Amino acid sequence: MYRKQVRRRRAVLALLVLGSFALLTATYGKGAGGFGEGVSTVFSPVQGVVDRALKPARDFVNWFDETLEARGENDRLREQLAEARALAVAGQVARQENDQLRELAGLRRSGAIPPGYEPVAARVIARSPTLWYASVTIDAGRRDGVRVDDPVVSGEGLAGRVTAVTGGAAQVTLITDPAAGSAVSGRVVPGGVQGIVRAEVGDPDELILDFIDSARLVGRGSTVVTAGWRSDDFASLYPPNLPIGEVTEASIREQEASQTVHLRPFADMRDLDLLQVLTGGWRG
Amino acid sequence: MILTPKILARIVAIVLLGVLLQLSFFSRVELLHTSPDVLPALVVALALLGGGMAGAVIGFSVGLLVAALVGEVLGLTSLVLLTTGYLAGAYRERADIFGVLMPALLCMGFTIFAEAGYAVMQLVLGVDASISALVLRDLLLKGIYAFFLGAPIYVGVRRLLRSALVEDRAVRRSSQPTVLGA
Repeated sequence: MYRKQVRRRRAVLALLVLGSFALLTATYGKGAGGFGEGVSTVFSPVQGVVDRALKPARDFVNWFDETLEARGENDRLREQLAEARALAVAGQVARQENDQLRELAGLRRSGAIPPGYEPVAARVIARSPTLWYASVTIDAGRRDGVRVDDPVVSGEGLAGRVTAVTGGAAQVTLITDPAAGSAVSGRVVPGGVQGIVRAEVGDPDELILDFIDSARLVGRGSTVVTAGWRSDDFASLYPPNLPIGEVTEASIREQEASQTVHLRPFADMRDLDLLQVLTGGWRG
Repeated sequence: MILTPKILARIVAIVLLGVLLQLSFFSRVELLHTSPDVLPALVVALALLGGGMAGAVIGFSVGLLVAALVGEVLGLTSLVLLTTGYLAGAYRERADIFGVLMPALLCMGFTIFAEAGYAVMQLVLGVDASISALVLRDLLLKGIYAFFLGAPIYVGVRRLLRSALVEDRAVRRSSQPTVLGA
């Protein structure tokens, strides 16, 4: 009797382990697929309700974290404020000139959203519990016109792209996800140096601009935007000029040796709440 | 643990609630830039009450559900959590659990084990990005959070499943008041 129990126990355990490996093999590199979509379809309405119900509690806990962080950042922010004031004045002048030039050239004043794209607002309803997958679930889906590979932006800049979509929800893989498919073609402004923006596992405040031209040095404080290339057959998933981040570390040695610079994403990946999915666009 | 349809329904409800709370609340709050992960602690709590097989099955199910909901590759979280659940349950089958400090320590240890196991699996599968040292900090902080959340999770789950626990039944029987003169 005891032996039979042990045998049965081992069989169930082996079945579960084999099942895990089989699922891993079947879905590796593809995500959760149809099963994930089915589960997400069932759970997304409940998740939406739970998300709204728990928002006050979430804000309360995050308030503690932000207060602790704010105390340390106060001095640094005072210095930055002085710099930012000067930059804001310069920026207003530049913007005025830019507007005038755009009007002169007859270009469309596009603002933050590139022409041809229809933004769809969505709320984050769930987030991956592990650092190894930077993904969130949003409450907009196929019914709202969202499709796989649509770019997703927050109020500050590029956040990621849609990787799976159901009727009423979609999964967004963030640009801080370490998977190869999350890399973005980036361009440094000013300067025009191009490279690939990649994540660093474990630190959502850090991105790496890789494969840059080591002959053209990038300066600290430069802005990185999406390159948005397009050819006859292929096109980048992201439209051009979506802000990605600011270069925070750009040593000459590192640029020459490994052709990389470090940047901080504009979008606060730790605290995404409202996002915009850019539907339509040049993919039609 | 004595499994009846009612107890099974309670376990399913606990798992669903745990997963929903993790994805909609714990994953989205941060203390010292790290979000708590209560799922390994939940699996450990259920395994400590139900044993190795229950821990393995529950770990597998929780992993599968989470991976499906966040669009991750299926099987990876399941494998990590089923191992965690099985080992926690197997420990319970060989040793007694006293008080609430011990479950809290076990939740902490097994959460660190699960997070480290997940990281190792990711590295084995290949990561196409550089890895920050902050991963280690995240792992340790998740362990500490599991210590503080482990005790209430264990106590709560134990309370919900009390009627199915063999030892609690034995204790209740042995503490029946004796009727004088009977």
